[in-house]
Amino acid sequence: MHRLATTLARLLVLLTACCSAWSPSVFAEPARRVAHAFGTATIEGRPVRLVTLYQGATDSALALGIEPVGVVESWLERPMYRYLRDDLPGDVRYLGLETQPDLEALAGLAPDLIVGARYRHAAVYPLLSRIAPTVVADNAYDFEALLALMGEATGRQARARALLDAWQARVTDFRCRAAATLGDAWPQSASVVSFRADHARLYYDGFARSILDQVGLRRPDGQDGSGWGIKLVSRESLPAMDADVIFVFMRDDPAVAELHRDWTAHPLWRNLAAVERGRVYYVDPVTWNMGAGIQAANRLLDELYAHYGLDHGEGARC
Amino acid sequence: MLTTPLARLLVLVLGALLALAAGLASLLLGAAEIPATTLVEAVLAPDPGSTPQLILLSERLPRAAIAALVGASLAVAGALMQTLTRNALAAPSILGINAGAMCFVVVASAVFALRSPLALVWVAFLGALAAALLVALLGRERGGGLSPVRVVLAGVAITALFVSLAQGLLIIDQERFEGLLLWLAGSVAGRGLEVVTPLLPFFLVAAGLCALLVRQLNLLVLDDEVGKGLGLRTGRVRLLAGAVVIVLAGGSVAMAGMIGFVGLIVPHMVRALFGRDHRWVLPGCVLLGAGLLLAADTLARFLMPPQEVPVGVMTALLGTPFFLTLARRRSLTP
Amino acid sequence: MTTPRADLVWRAAGGRLSLRLDRRSLAVTLLLALALVASAGISLSLGSQATPPAAVLEALLFPGHSDIALIVHEIRLPRVLLGILVGACLGVAGLLLQGLVRNPLASPDVIGITGGASLAAVSFLALGGAALGEAWLPVAALGGAALVALAIIALSGRGVTPARLVLIGIGLAAALGAATTLVLVLAADTTAMQAYVWLTGSLYAAQWREVAALAPWALLGLPLALGLARRLDALALGDDLATGLGTAVRGSRLALLLLAVALAGSAVAFAGGLSFIGLLAPHIARRLVARGHAALVPVTALVGALILLHADLLGRLAFLPRDLPAGIFVAGIGAPFFVYLLHRWR
Repeated sequence: MHRLATTLARLLVLLTACCSAWSPSVFAEPARRVAHAFGTATIEGRPVRLVTLYQGATDSALALGIEPVGVVESWLERPMYRYLRDDLPGDVRYLGLETQPDLEALAGLAPDLIVGARYRHAAVYPLLSRIAPTVVADNAYDFEALLALMGEATGRQARARALLDAWQARVTDFRCRAAATLGDAWPQSASVVSFRADHARLYYDGFARSILDQVGLRRPDGQDGSGWGIKLVSRESLPAMDADVIFVFMRDDPAVAELHRDWTAHPLWRNLAAVERGRVYYVDPVTWNMGAGIQAANRLLDELYAHYGLDHGEGARC
Repeated sequence: MLTTPLARLLVLVLGALLALAAGLASLLLGAAEIPATTLVEAVLAPDPGSTPQLILLSERLPRAAIAALVGASLAVAGALMQTLTRNALAAPSILGINAGAMCFVVVASAVFALRSPLALVWVAFLGALAAALLVALLGRERGGGLSPVRVVLAGVAITALFVSLAQGLLIIDQERFEGLLLWLAGSVAGRGLEVVTPLLPFFLVAAGLCALLVRQLNLLVLDDEVGKGLGLRTGRVRLLAGAVVIVLAGGSVAMAGMIGFVGLIVPHMVRALFGRDHRWVLPGCVLLGAGLLLAADTLARFLMPPQEVPVGVMTALLGTPFFLTLARRRSLTP
Repeated sequence: MTTPRADLVWRAAGGRLSLRLDRRSLAVTLLLALALVASAGISLSLGSQATPPAAVLEALLFPGHSDIALIVHEIRLPRVLLGILVGACLGVAGLLLQGLVRNPLASPDVIGITGGASLAAVSFLALGGAALGEAWLPVAALGGAALVALAIIALSGRGVTPARLVLIGIGLAAALGAATTLVLVLAADTTAMQAYVWLTGSLYAAQWREVAALAPWALLGLPLALGLARRLDALALGDDLATGLGTAVRGSRLALLLLAVALAGSAVAFAGGLSFIGLLAPHIARRLVARGHAALVPVTALVGALILLHADLLGRLAFLPRDLPAGIFVAGIGAPFFVYLLHRWR
């Protein structure tokens, strides 16, 4: 049965790709036209052979209950982030790095849907769309738009809607509980910081920042600059991080640990409001910076619940 | 050009004052405000609990020290290289010495996880030496002399070689090698005095050698034949001066990554003031080189705060017009 | 060297255009052309998907009947063709520049042409040029290269002496490199990664539209280079002799420089900041054929194409499933080889 489907799919792909001829639908459902960053994709039926070309798409596919047949390697915890690894089928094909996924292997998989992102796949898009219908996310970290797009493309709109509704409900619940439990200490301002081998980064924008915005953690004054953020090279810039609460993520690496030790030993670090009040939270770099899908977003929210002690139903009912 | 010793001495003192002023600016100006009184207090009444004093001692002082040392070393290395090659465009950055040291350091620290500052210093020396040998090999004319343009081209090719090898690492694993970018750009920020201490003995020996070689270097400026006639053992002098260049340039890279153009600009400015006598040129290079890099690094903090511009970018942008002016000159002898 | 040779001489336009090819050069050219065809064939047959040569041939000839037509026709073939064109253009650009400045170390990357294209491309990527559409990236890169060429000419003044030209190029290249680094330091991770790949040079995802866009530059530029071969031969004799032989030295230099920029700039625009091919290919060519630029131009073009083709093949296959930029291999293998060649060549 599976083989038959594969053969059929392959035939379809070849028909559309090589002869560029319009082929009549073999499925009963009418073809759906899905608008995305680079145009409109025409998709028939419910795609089953999905290839995801960036991490947020892999995360979202698994959330929608689709096992991709091809994925790209992750940046940490290679070849795939641990939180996604178990859900992936054992025979999933790794297509190499996100920057240059192996196109031949991709074509060989005979996918019926490809998901990419504007910031990575602008140049390859024409080729991808000849291999299979391709939808492209406009923004690298807008996981809600991505989930909606993939729900539409895979014919799982209801599932996507449910996931998004559940997410919105959790966000509302968090805001409500935080306001009720923390009282005057809410809303708070939060900084997102990452320590690297030779500098620290302060994020003004990105996946984590966008979720913090949703749950009502404000940006501190001075962090409203445009662009992704800044690199801090000197410890005297530490005050730029100050906020009511600081979320820190970093890679497990001796050089990073050394820099982190140096910076956090400095009096300027100890003088930060968040440090003085004990509100520096160490969080998972994969969840906060790499995953960029609905599952990562929920895991991030789990961490927030835990850090604020809101996960035991304590405090006000919401 | 100044001719009398008194005028030269006065200008040298002036240069020292300028370097001192740049040093003070580097200590007092930056993201955190440090009043000048803190400096006095830090000296007269040290208080471990005072944050301004701590910033001064833990951040600004190492940074200023590194900037001053790197600036002075690169300037002296440039002056020596210009004398050795009789080429106005010779400098550690242009002839690929910096890139060689950078590439070796990056590979040693990123790939082989070498972290001890002393070991990295030796690696940097090795890289500088490898690059210098390659350039000498490639830059030699059929007759045996070093043609100025050929040497410069060889240096650029060597730089391209080392830089593209280092950049390749970034593509293979950006997460692990991202620190490399600041080595490529050159920066004196965020490093402690622990990177300076292992280098001090080397720099002292280099300074001593410079002092001993001054007379021979002055003869080297002349024709080889004249020098030999005056009893100069050119081979030995070149070897020693070359070793000094390797130590100064390699050491600078080990501290601050690739910082270009200081070694090119400063010797020319100094020679415009003092002429070609190394007794004046070398001290002048030390003061002016230190002052220039201190000033460039202070300026780099204010271009787009709180983000700092890597100082190597600053010097390259400042140095290019100067290089172009030199390149348009008729003669390329210093 | 005194043995009589049977030279092939081809003249046109009343003797103003003439090509002299000795037997050896002709043989070398033919052998290299055969090697290129063979390499292209190998390149077309190898990939992460196993494809027997017979099936590849079938896919090439009868794409309608083949189930690997997409892989061969749309993925491998454009990539192979782009590699050949880019390699040939960069190699010949290097040859022209080396002849022009009479120095075997000149090349498009050394004198800042690649640097100008790189700064333009990296700024485009980092400053959100992607919103304009990816198709503008080559335009930006080509514009950057052209601006640098104009700056070199303007700054060289009236003399345009070889030494001055190359030194001014080097100075500009350094400033452009610093500016590129600054953009990279400020850029977000995601765009910085794209920028590194571009800077290293890659043929990944080459498509027919790119081949079609580069082809006119190569098909016009390479024969033009052949046409200028005589001027290069004259310039090699030195300014005075060249003038004595009736060559307009300054005009020739400008023409050669512009041609080199057009070749290198267009190649870099579509393949990124590949270095070393412009240095390496002319050197290897000079070891293969001794006399005259008429033979050197085609041989250099073929050698350049071969280098890039094989570097890209290595990048595609050596670290499967990763597909790495060809530039890493050009630099990693080409640079040491270049040092060796220079050493031997002296």
